[in-house]
Amino acid sequence: MQNARDTFYVTLRDRLAAVNPARTIVVRSVARPGLLVEENELASANAPADVFRLRWTGLRVDAKGALPLMVMDCEIRYATDGNAGNGGMDRGRLLAAMDAELVAAVNAGLQNVVKMSYAALPAVAMGTNVWWGDVAFAAATVNGERLERLATVEVFCFQEAGAL
Amino acid sequence: MNAVAVRRAADVLLRGVGGRAVMLRMPAPASVGDVTEQLGLAVPQFQDVELAPVVLERGSATVRTMLVSANAVNELVGSMGYSASSVLFADAFGVLVDGVLMEVESVAETELGGAAAVYRVGLREPVALQV
Repeated sequence: MQNARDTFYVTLRDRLAAVNPARTIVVRSVARPGLLVEENELASANAPADVFRLRWTGLRVDAKGALPLMVMDCEIRYATDGNAGNGGMDRGRLLAAMDAELVAAVNAGLQNVVKMSYAALPAVAMGTNVWWGDVAFAAATVNGERLERLATVEVFCFQEAGAL
Repeated sequence: MNAVAVRRAADVLLRGVGGRAVMLRMPAPASVGDVTEQLGLAVPQFQDVELAPVVLERGSATVRTMLVSANAVNELVGSMGYSASSVLFADAFGVLVDGVLMEVESVAETELGGAAAVYRVGLREPVALQV
């Protein structure tokens, strides 16, 4: 399950970076693509804008088959204040751009990849795949001058014996 | 009153009301291209640096407010190579008070005569200590 989460994150990160290489975040003095997994970062009250924040929430297990089927709910939160130079009047356009980037990364192209284990580097390919459904968008919410959106994706994998 | 005098006056006031020292816990810079940190597999190194004089007030049961001298903050901003105090506090992992690590929730500065004299830092106690 953890391997599937890691694989989905790395896939989504690389696809988002290909769609818009300019969307980056600086984490502890190092710039990286603008997607982070909240539970993998230092706890912080700060919610950065103009990047995607990924959060794993629901988990369901179907144990009827030969391998347990895991269904994980992935929440992707993002927000924008618009450009200060434009007085924030372009925040709707910037949120729409982030919507489009997410659709391009999640829905376009293959919606499955080989599950990888990152416990040791280089990463090792495992025997099953990770696959996911289309992204579903909740209504945009207004928080002061900030426009926020929550998108969800269902991610599936088989739990291999002895794997994380 | 010039900026230096304002900051010195703030230092004296904070020391006069029982100012003490706390430690600011700063994470080391991330490793470039290291996927293990992004996946939560590797933990950064931390460095504790002293912040003094500070005065702590208890707001609610779980929230504390820390008043800290702008001189102390500016020294850290300069010596650690940060561009501004806001970046320093945003990067900080927390503030260590008597062995308890508190999360930085908010930062505001009080200006006197056009210069920052005191920073007011909102701290939240860890969930494990909340009653």
